[in-house]
Amino acid sequence: MGRPAVPSPRVALSVLFYEFLKVSLMASGGGVAWAHRITVDRRRWLNDAEFTDIVSVCQFMPGPNVVGIAVCVGAKLRGLLGAVAATAGFVLIPGIVGFSLGTLWFRHTGVPLLQNILIGISAAAAGMMIATGMRLLRAYRRRLPALLFAALAFAGIAIGQFPLLLVLLILAPLSIATAAIAGRVR
Amino acid sequence: MTDPAALGRLAAQLALLSSISFGGVPTVLPDIHAYVVANGWLTDRDFADFLAVSQAMPGPNMILMMSFIGWKVAGFPGAIASACATFAPPCAMYFAAYRLWDRFRDAPWQRIARAGLAPLTAGLVVAGGTVMARTADVSWPSVGVTAAAALLLLFTRLNPLWVLGGAGLFGAFGFL
Repeated sequence: MGRPAVPSPRVALSVLFYEFLKVSLMASGGGVAWAHRITVDRRRWLNDAEFTDIVSVCQFMPGPNVVGIAVCVGAKLRGLLGAVAATAGFVLIPGIVGFSLGTLWFRHTGVPLLQNILIGISAAAAGMMIATGMRLLRAYRRRLPALLFAALAFAGIAIGQFPLLLVLLILAPLSIATAAIAGRVR
Repeated sequence: MTDPAALGRLAAQLALLSSISFGGVPTVLPDIHAYVVANGWLTDRDFADFLAVSQAMPGPNMILMMSFIGWKVAGFPGAIASACATFAPPCAMYFAAYRLWDRFRDAPWQRIARAGLAPLTAGLVVAGGTVMARTADVSWPSVGVTAAAALLLLFTRLNPLWVLGGAGLFGAFGFL
């Protein structure tokens, strides 16, 4: 499904570190969008379907899901060392910078210009995340049941505001059963 | 302020809560809030400030948030310990789960599971963006910025940095 990822020679651990450092620094709030852009669009380490696969696995797990994407992409490309390199890239430098800036900030709170800039950026970041989800859905645009389940998942979280785990535990078996039946009919 | 026993208890609590934080760390934020306030380590005000600042920062926001809490309880070592307690257990689980999933990559049941899960995941990502928009969009012009950003990124090959930068500039001039 989608264009195949270019089978790459071994990805260097330092490249994994660096690319997930970029994901982390650019993604305030909506890391999935940047992870997709860098691993799929730019580096072509994965195709859309493989990326969706990883996000699906992460969604069932506790913890910060975007860190999970770093762990899984790293594991896919270079095993345990890759997972460590990608996660370290994601957490280490941004953590140190954020911690230093944050502790500074607590002494000089409330710079209005900075707050205004952040309002603009976070509004656009939300739009970026919506666009990423739509792109992941593109592969399924001709399949009515898939669109229906995507809409239900969306509604459960965005409108119903139910907990993620509840939405998944109800919809996943139904959606998988539908896919199984559709596969048999075809 | 530096109390190793307190730090140990905080780290254990964070490790436990992050291990059950299905849907992301924000889902257990109320529990963390209750725990640190009940222990007298943070005031409500501290907690709100830490949250606001960690969300404004790029990078892993929730890990940063926990490092601020650890810093308040036990200084710099507290920050490190709290950050690690928050992200290490889920990372181990991600790794194990991915390995298990990948081992059965070509099994027929997994092809079916994948076909069922992928649309849900796409819908959930859109929902995540919508939930973000709900807190980020403080005015009608900012709703416009969200919509414009989504359309630009969906239908053009524009680098998102231009979109984010433009939106930040828009905000800097006080349009939002």
